[in-house]
Amino acid sequence: MPNTNSANKVTHAVVRMYCMGTGDCFIIKFFAGDNVRFKMMIDCGVWTGGKDRLTPFMEDLKEYVEGEVDLLVITHEHLDHVSVFETCSDVFTNNFTVKKIWMSWSENDSLSKIKRWKTEYGEKKRALALASERLEEALMRPEEREAFINGADGLAIMGARKHFAAALSNFSMLHMQGVAGQYKGMLEGMRIVKKEIANDNIEYMYPGNIIEDLPGLEGVRFYVLGPPEKWDDVETEGGGEGESYTHNKILKGEEAFAVAITGTNAAGGTDGILPFEAFYESASDNNNVRKSYDDPDCAWRTIENEWLFSAGNLALRIGTLTNNLSLVIAIEFEENRRVMLFPGDAEYGSWRTWHNISWEGIEKPEDGVHFTQDLLRRTVFYKIAHHMSHNGTAERLGLNMMEHKDLAAMGSLDYKVIPPAWKGTMPNREMLQELLRKTKGRLMIMNEKGIFYDFHDQEPIAGKIKQARSKMNVGEKAAFEDDFKKDETNGYYIDYKVKA
Amino acid sequence: MPIPDKIPAFRRLRGYAFDPSLSLRSDTAFINNIVYNVPWETKLDPGPVGEYLEVVDYDPTTKKHYEPVVLNNKNLLAQDGLQPSEVNPQFHQQMVYAVAMTTITNFETALGRKVIWAPRRLADRDKYAEYVARLRVYPHALRDTNAYYSPQKKALLFGYFEARPANNTLHMPGSFVFTCLSHDIIAHEVTHAILDGMYPAYSEASNPDVLAFHEAFADIVALFQHFTFPEVLKHQVAKTRGDLASQNLLGELAQEFGSAIGSYGSLRDAIGEIDPVTKTWKAKEPRGDEYNTVMEPHQRGSTLVSAVFEAFLSIYKGRIKDLLRMATGGTGVLPQGELHPDLVNRLASEASKAAKHVLNMCIRALDYCPPVDITFGDYLRAIITADRALVNNDSLDYRLAFIEAFRRRGIYPQGLKTFSVDSLELMNGNGLAGNGKDDPIQILTQFFRKYASDISYEQDREKIFRISRKYITGENGLHSRLSEKFLGNGKFQMLTGLVFNTNWKDFGVRTSTKKYLGGEGPSYQIQNLRLVSRVGPENNLLNQVVFSLVQRSGIVMEAGEFKEHYHLGEPLPEGNAGATEDGLPIQDRFVLYGGCTMIFDLNTQELKYVVCKPLLNIDKLKKTGEVEIDRERIRQQYNYQREEGLMHLSEYNRYFGSGLHHPLNEPFCFLHH
Repeated sequence: MPNTNSANKVTHAVVRMYCMGTGDCFIIKFFAGDNVRFKMMIDCGVWTGGKDRLTPFMEDLKEYVEGEVDLLVITHEHLDHVSVFETCSDVFTNNFTVKKIWMSWSENDSLSKIKRWKTEYGEKKRALALASERLEEALMRPEEREAFINGADGLAIMGARKHFAAALSNFSMLHMQGVAGQYKGMLEGMRIVKKEIANDNIEYMYPGNIIEDLPGLEGVRFYVLGPPEKWDDVETEGGGEGESYTHNKILKGEEAFAVAITGTNAAGGTDGILPFEAFYESASDNNNVRKSYDDPDCAWRTIENEWLFSAGNLALRIGTLTNNLSLVIAIEFEENRRVMLFPGDAEYGSWRTWHNISWEGIEKPEDGVHFTQDLLRRTVFYKIAHHMSHNGTAERLGLNMMEHKDLAAMGSLDYKVIPPAWKGTMPNREMLQELLRKTKGRLMIMNEKGIFYDFHDQEPIAGKIKQARSKMNVGEKAAFEDDFKKDETNGYYIDYKVKA
Repeated sequence: MPIPDKIPAFRRLRGYAFDPSLSLRSDTAFINNIVYNVPWETKLDPGPVGEYLEVVDYDPTTKKHYEPVVLNNKNLLAQDGLQPSEVNPQFHQQMVYAVAMTTITNFETALGRKVIWAPRRLADRDKYAEYVARLRVYPHALRDTNAYYSPQKKALLFGYFEARPANNTLHMPGSFVFTCLSHDIIAHEVTHAILDGMYPAYSEASNPDVLAFHEAFADIVALFQHFTFPEVLKHQVAKTRGDLASQNLLGELAQEFGSAIGSYGSLRDAIGEIDPVTKTWKAKEPRGDEYNTVMEPHQRGSTLVSAVFEAFLSIYKGRIKDLLRMATGGTGVLPQGELHPDLVNRLASEASKAAKHVLNMCIRALDYCPPVDITFGDYLRAIITADRALVNNDSLDYRLAFIEAFRRRGIYPQGLKTFSVDSLELMNGNGLAGNGKDDPIQILTQFFRKYASDISYEQDREKIFRISRKYITGENGLHSRLSEKFLGNGKFQMLTGLVFNTNWKDFGVRTSTKKYLGGEGPSYQIQNLRLVSRVGPENNLLNQVVFSLVQRSGIVMEAGEFKEHYHLGEPLPEGNAGATEDGLPIQDRFVLYGGCTMIFDLNTQELKYVVCKPLLNIDKLKKTGEVEIDRERIRQQYNYQREEGLMHLSEYNRYFGSGLHHPLNEPFCFLHH
């Protein structure tokens, strides 16, 4: 070990969550006593928000890090993790230094395999955007109204269909912006990071990587847990009962759908679009079947747009895939071996692979458990993955293994700024209950307002957290009050001090 | 005199017994290609478009119409229709038609009456509903691993998708897999449509069983329909040496294809599984607590499927005992080697009989189910009651086989003191009878006898529909008669559990648009007036008229408890109700359905059975005479729809659905995702 000057040894870290709305933006400052030794930033995004609203947050951030971060981590390319690089790009492109950037291996566009995959994946995103756009447009047409208005519950049915289309559009916006139908490559926020903020200083990380002794960070180690390197892991979303907090079915192929929407296959041709030889196509538009399909009295039975609703599958698939490509980092304070876990939005498919990583050069823990489990049980700070959703946190291979008595958790969830469809899954009640118990109420949510613990919207989460905090003993309570700080003036951020 | 023109009884159409994948396996190919015998339709237009079905082969994903198949073409008539082929869309049209018609015929045989599709409900309450002659079938409607029945469009939408490449590198699409070529999927979806025609409220998830029942029942029909194919059955009996429980293609293989395309397979999971060690299929033993612990609709449905399957197996075993004794000289141990073909034939014929009986029992039970909020326990009671009504002497212990199989999975009807064939039979409706010719039951049965004679020989489905409508809503029809005779009748109110008093507005019930004796009355629907006319095995004749009453009540909840009623005319808030923009709770409103099915016996002129899901608290009504809404049912339904049920929604449903209490946007599409 090179430098063991104890005055420089990291004593604690302060995790700051910026509260712009549902989305991630974290600054972690590592201290040796009162001296700041290292400044790290993880993601910078929010579901929606204009420049005027967000700039004050980012000005505050800039001031807080004094215009310089030692390390910027981009977990994955979703709007709610990178959008603010675009919205407030001037903050980051002027007088802002980023010394080093970490991204997952899947962002290394210079590798031809990844490049090819990204092009194909881009086609999927394009299909989703197109489908969403076509559906929204179709539901606005007079035909839609004519089809339903005379039937019982017509208005309610149309409402439910619009709700679906809105949820779909939310998903689409998460992945793609600009004019639908023309995939412009990556999200603008991501492009700005790669092309304008980065300066040949991006490092691409693989699971199993261990980084230690970064300048200024004596006694701190980084472990890279995800994303997995195998596609079928990336594509796995739920693990079934006991594994993840819901019964999920594995989502299946939607190639045929994407091809029909975009009008071309991945290779740019039209093979695979038509299921049958052309000579089977109806020669006349005057046969009995055509007449009955086109009969205006039977307009309510037509199926012109029904197939567009299948885009829901595509949306879920793309969402999961990108979430599972999250860069997952565990930060360990070597001396007392406490761990902070930042999993991005990783879902079950990623979590389970962490337990298969062969940690080279790491001694197996004494009781023989896998080193990943060891990391989890030493975790004292957990950034809750995927805004507290049901599939963001693995059950058996995740939360169940976090058994440290000092565990605290932070969730980037805010009902004021959130895609409406997410409210159905975030926060997951079972996980919430478990987190409250395990953290004794050291659960910090970006905005507690409007979030209820129960399904009847009777027990506000704030009260529940308070109740859970009463389980802490006097010492724990005093420590927590000392560690947990809110920006009382502007409400820009929440700070939590993690002791090394 | 001209030679008489004899109309054939059947149209022979080739098709897959299971699905195309079996034709690629050498051990199953020869049983997979079978000929379906569907009833001959003289007027069968290109499509095919017949009396019941209208196959419209339009693919909106490519905006292509495919040329409709002309089954009356002499080339096709001469060779039992088109040869099975995945690449010919006209064969797809033929396949959906053949399987759908087979399913419809099985229902008509069991029910003893014509299948009539659910009418299209209209926004205009005066017009109410319009007749739907044909179910639309779109064989290529979606690009999805899904197929569903759309209650809004009265149509079946089948999807197709690409076979998933073995490696996962997001390949360009390979070959297509078509759901409209799977016997099981077609039968399953048609059954959804038929069931919707009988009980439209079964798509309302008011308890954990309702959607599970829809799924399971559709699967039971698909499963047992396989047993009506003699080639398949003989092959199976020979292969399993008569022991259908040990290994079973009928359960097993459909499982394989099903698992490739989603939820259809999971329904079969409870029947059996492939042993990981021996690689053989074996029936699964129930744990006994499935009913109380498994809540996800498909897994829950699979419990019901497996119960019925087990009942079938024990019936089959009972039926072949004597054959086995004879074949083995009393030892019960079959000799090594292949079974004698005669024995195979006899065993197959017993299996086929048992399967037909089970399928009939399952279908007939529908007539004795409540019109809303069904539970598996209700269904068991209906099976027992329906069978008892027709078959006095249960010499082969069919009913016991059912009770046993349900009991082994923890399925009990609610509110029973003992669990036996006797106690399971539904309660009868005595207590309404009055004296002499003023007796309302007497008057009603006279009315129903007239209905029966009008409808008995009518073959035209539209006429049946119109006559029944006339008897329901016409002048002096059933609706007026019930309202006039029973409004304010405490006994009737107690029997039906529905609001038949003069303060219906206080119970959140709408006012009927009809006037009775010049006055207003509570709104309720009469669903599915029908004549149940069957001949039992002892040549006994069953003559019953059955109909369902459905009434809705608007409920406002507060803190998970009943607060007050609201006027049902107001539309519910769109989308996910529950919280306003800034997350503040709003008044939570939902609709409670109450209903009862009434079965009148025309022979004995009595109200034979009443199956009811009350709006009113019956216990209290009986004990104290106080009329009060059934808060327990409210609590159960509300908790299920807003809490328990939500835990088991699919990923798809969580993000894109509008909640269990708004199952409006294609409930069956969501169910299959």
